[in-house]
Amino acid sequence: MFEKILIANRGEIALRILRAAKELGIATVAVHSTVDSEAMHVKLADESVCIGPAPARESYLNIPALLAACEITGADAVHPGYGFLSENAKFAEILADHDIGFIGPKPEHIRIMGDKIEAKRTVLALGIPCVPGSPGAVTDDDEAMKIALEIGFPVLVKAAAGGGGRGMKVARTPEDLSEALTMARTESKAAFGDDSVYLEKYLEKPRHIEIQILGDGRGQALHIGERDCSLQRRHQKVLEETPSPALNQDERARIGEICAEAMRKLRYSGAGTIEFLYENGEFYFIEMNTRIQVEHPITEMISGLDLVVEQIKIASGAPLAYTQADIELRGHAIECRINAEHPATFRPSPGKILYYHPPGGVGVRVDSAVYQGYVIPPNYDSLVGKLIVQGRTRNEALMRLRRALDEFIVDGIDTTLPLFRTLVRNSDIQDGAYDIHWLEHFLAGGGMDNPTG
Amino acid sequence: MSKISSASAKPASAAAASPKLDARLVREIATMLSESDLTEIEVEKGDLRIRVARQTTIVASAPAQAYAPAPAAVTVAAAHAVLPEALVVDEHNAADILKSPMVGTVYLRPSPDAKAFIEIGAHVSSGQKVLLIEAMKTFNDIVAHKSGAVTAILVEDGQPVEYGQPLFVIV
Repeated sequence: MFEKILIANRGEIALRILRAAKELGIATVAVHSTVDSEAMHVKLADESVCIGPAPARESYLNIPALLAACEITGADAVHPGYGFLSENAKFAEILADHDIGFIGPKPEHIRIMGDKIEAKRTVLALGIPCVPGSPGAVTDDDEAMKIALEIGFPVLVKAAAGGGGRGMKVARTPEDLSEALTMARTESKAAFGDDSVYLEKYLEKPRHIEIQILGDGRGQALHIGERDCSLQRRHQKVLEETPSPALNQDERARIGEICAEAMRKLRYSGAGTIEFLYENGEFYFIEMNTRIQVEHPITEMISGLDLVVEQIKIASGAPLAYTQADIELRGHAIECRINAEHPATFRPSPGKILYYHPPGGVGVRVDSAVYQGYVIPPNYDSLVGKLIVQGRTRNEALMRLRRALDEFIVDGIDTTLPLFRTLVRNSDIQDGAYDIHWLEHFLAGGGMDNPTG
Repeated sequence: MSKISSASAKPASAAAASPKLDARLVREIATMLSESDLTEIEVEKGDLRIRVARQTTIVASAPAQAYAPAPAAVTVAAAHAVLPEALVVDEHNAADILKSPMVGTVYLRPSPDAKAFIEIGAHVSSGQKVLLIEAMKTFNDIVAHKSGAVTAILVEDGQPVEYGQPLFVIV
């Protein structure tokens, strides 16, 4: 087992890692930038090292400074958290070269999953379902029709050179296809100077469902159910729950086993998340995150596992302490990401927290690194904390969430608490009837014009 | 929920007040400050406002205690209890302090048997090499940020330092 872990991150995840290390009896080193010297993880760590000025590039992303910090403190492992260097294969390799443990997967797996095309190619070969489409550019209209009928309408015609939504057209029926092809080619030619297009199945109202996996790097792996993260704004997750209101036990077991088996074949090491779009009973791979995720606590709440502890044990060379049969998921958990942002305009609101009162009681967990008097610096992300609730049923979890949100007080800055107080009272949310577009439509339709709380 | 405009709306010094009143009062407040655990005292009387504060940022980024080689846990209390040293730093003008530009280990001499690069009292010119910081097996030259006399050396040979840690005082 490691003796001293350097936590190469900040905020609530740095504190989360520190808690896991302490419970394992491992010494902790906090690193911080000059503006984070008063941060909670710095105060609670056994040792701390200031590694640079406020810009992340010169501190939290500064690999030489982090290595020097390991060197002067004698840390024998680094936990990268999420963001920053967590999915940087080069960092993992450099640590290995210096005989310092990286609490994360093998560098080669970080590299594969960090490359969209390579990731899709790899997971397809491992038996994970992807969005069906044409294998390459399509030039011939008859060929396009043949492929479109195979993958099923509606189809999306996409510019091969595209991005940002340009050169994208939806063909809902076979009659639409010819026109969609012509328009996509014209737009693509104008925007990118290249008129090659390809086809992909178009998902109208997908949900975002992801599978949590753990692997030991030697061919053992298991899944710990799913998380439904469909409530998003600008591709940022806002509220997550598990189990998904859209999946039944058979679907869960089927996709979970597909993912676990793929990770066994890959000999994946550590915690990871395989993200899918889900529509009409089918899963379509989006990407794999080779790190701990922000929303991991809801999985912990229903499984009783500590995923960060498991990450540390696996990275130190221990085998998985569980088999799939040992994994028992009980009840329902929901997480809200409370950001320092205006609840309707989402304008960032850094500053000093004048009063802080987190909720408590049965089944309530708050993962946060703020405290009364703490100043949220403007240099990093706006996450104030995560409110996680658990109940025996989804309804119990929702009622508990409503109660906990009403107890939560953060004064001095704007937070998104009123957004959640409104959402938890919304009938679509209560019914679980939402997809990845729901929140954007809700906000665009004036959903936060008269917020609750 | 109210917005705060600025955390430091108060004037940072009592520069505007009359000089004869100042010196005595400031000295008294400074003594009170160093005798107590306080980090800041502010006195207001009529138009006069005097604020005396310790450089808590320097305290936080301070010395060897933060990562002593001993494996025993260094408590938060210990890390923040280095006030006497912090006050030493505080006596100096911030512009005179040469701060570490990186994390690493300080070397005050080119090799273990050699003479130190700089002794206290020596005159240095801006850009002159004054010490080395080793990080990742690489020795980095640290140069004087200004010309003047070295009045204090705040680190020891072989001591680990963090970013921004005061190294020398050059007056």
